[in-house]
Amino acid sequence: MLTLRELQAEFRRALLEGVDGEPASALGAAIVADGLSAEARLGIYRHHVLTTLTATLAGTYPVVIRLVGDGFFAYAADAFVRRHPPGGPCLFEYGAGFAEFLASFPPCHDLVYLPDVARLEWAMHAALHAEDAHAIDLVRLGETSAEAIATVTLRLDPSLTLLCSPWPVDRIWRANQPDAEAEATVDLRAGSVCLEVRRLGDEVIWRTLPPAEHAFRAALAAADTLERAAHLALAVDSGFDLVGAIHAVFAEGLVTGVEASS
Amino acid sequence: MAASPLASRVGLGLRAPHLDEVASTRPAVGWWEVHAENHLGGGPARRRLEAIRRDYPISVHGVGLSLGSVDGPDARHLERVRRLVVWLDPALVSEHLSWSIAGGAYLNHLLPLPYTEESLALLCRNVEIAQAALGRRLLVENPSSYLRFRHSPIAEPDFLAELARRAGCGLLCDVNNIYVSAQNLGLDAPAYVDAIPPAAVGEIHLAGHARNDAEGRTILIDDHGSRVGEPVWELYRRALERLGRVPTLVEWDTDIPALAVLIDEAGRAERHAGLDGEGDAHAA
Repeated sequence: MLTLRELQAEFRRALLEGVDGEPASALGAAIVADGLSAEARLGIYRHHVLTTLTATLAGTYPVVIRLVGDGFFAYAADAFVRRHPPGGPCLFEYGAGFAEFLASFPPCHDLVYLPDVARLEWAMHAALHAEDAHAIDLVRLGETSAEAIATVTLRLDPSLTLLCSPWPVDRIWRANQPDAEAEATVDLRAGSVCLEVRRLGDEVIWRTLPPAEHAFRAALAAADTLERAAHLALAVDSGFDLVGAIHAVFAEGLVTGVEASS
Repeated sequence: MAASPLASRVGLGLRAPHLDEVASTRPAVGWWEVHAENHLGGGPARRRLEAIRRDYPISVHGVGLSLGSVDGPDARHLERVRRLVVWLDPALVSEHLSWSIAGGAYLNHLLPLPYTEESLALLCRNVEIAQAALGRRLLVENPSSYLRFRHSPIAEPDFLAELARRAGCGLLCDVNNIYVSAQNLGLDAPAYVDAIPPAAVGEIHLAGHARNDAEGRTILIDDHGSRVGEPVWELYRRALERLGRVPTLVEWDTDIPALAVLIDEAGRAERHAGLDGEGDAHAA
C-alpha cells in the first residue's frame, strides 16, 4: 500500500507525465474502478489541470496565439505546463518562463522573434498585477550627501520592466491587436527596439526608449549604483544627458526609494 | 454555530469580470466571497476590492493552501494570505479538504485524499498550522470527487466531522459537491447531508455542474459553469432543514455570465431558503 507521500508523488506524475488511455501504475491499483476505469478517473483530473493552466497562459499571451494559431499554442502550452508546472497557487504569477521555453522549443525554432514577443506580453501582464508603490520626489535624492550620491541605488516602481529585442516586437505587437488593420505587415529588418513597460493608474503602458536611456534605467532597475548606471549609459551614447535622465526618472514617478549602498 | 450576520442574504462569488461593475454600481447583493489567490497582487484588482469591501461584508475562500499536502502549507503563501486577511478583515475564511501541491508543483486542482487515520492526523496538523498563522477559525469544504481510493476506511462526512472536532475548525458544506461526488462515486447524497455535524457548519456553497460522458457512463463535472441544478436545490432544502440558517453562497467560475444572472441566481437561493424580503441589502 502507498504511503500518503508516495500517493501524492504518483498522482503528480500521473497528471503531468501521463497520457489518456495509459495503463496506470501502483496508483491505478489504489483507485476504485467501479463503472469507470482508474485511468479514465485520473484522466478527468489531468484534463482539468492541463486545460485550466493552458487557459491561464492563453490569457497572458494573446499575441503569441495570434502568431502561432490556437492549435500550436495549445500544443506548446501543454508541453510547457507538464515541464514547468506552477510553483505556487497564485495563477497570475504563472507563465514567466514561457518565453525561455519557446526559445528552446524546437517546433518554433524558425519564429526567431516569438520569445521576445512573449517577453513583452509577460512584462505587460506582470505590470498589471504588480504591487502598488508610492513614488518619491527628487528632493529625497538631495538628502543624500554629495560624497555618497554616486553610490546610492534607486528602488524603482515594481510594475516596471525594461527589455530590448533585435526584432521590432513593438510593431509585431501592434499589428496583432484585434483592432489592427488586417493587411498590416511588419518588416523584420526594421531593427532592434528598447522598450519600457509599466502600469500608470489602472493602465499598462509601454513605449520605446533611446538605447542610452534604456541602459541607464535597466541598470538602476538591476540595483546598480547611480555611478555605474551613468557609466553604462555613457558607454552607449557619449552625449547622454545624465542630469536630465535623473530628473526624468523622478518626474515620471518611477522612483519609490533611495538607498545608500552598503 | 452562532447565527451569522451573513445568514440573512445569499452571497455571490466575486470574479474578475465583475470587479469594475460591482465597484461602480454597488448592486444589491448581501455579501461577496473572493478567492484569496486572486487578490494577492496589486493594481486594479486590489483597488476595486478595496472599494467593494467598504460597502459589503467579505468572505475569503482559499484554493491554494493545500491543507492535504504531506509537506504542509507553504509558509510564504500562508503569510501572504495572512496579510490579505488582516487587510480585508473578512467575516469568514475557508479552504478545502484536498491537496494541490506535491514536490513543489502546484497542480491547480482540489485533489482527492484517502480517508485514513494517516490523512486525518495530517489534516489536523495542517489546519492547526493555518489557523494559528491566520489567527482565524477556518471552514473546511468538502471536495467534489471523480475517484475514491481502495483503502479509505472513513466515510467523508465522518472524516470532516472528526477533523472539525480535533482541529477546532468549522466546515463549509458544498451541496453541489456532495451531489457531484455522490453521482460519480455511487454514494447516498441525502445520507451524506444527514451525517454532517450541524454545529460545525459555518457556510453553504451552491453552484452548477456539467454532465460529461466517459467510457459510456455519465460523469458530473464540478465546473461552476451554469445555474444550480434541480437535484442540488432539493439537496439544499434538505441541508437547510438540518443545518438551520447558515450563510449561503452561489459560485460561478466558467462561462461567467452577466452580473444580473448571478444576482438572479442568488435570488432563487433566497427563495429556496425562505429569505425573500428579509434582511437589508448592504448597498442599493
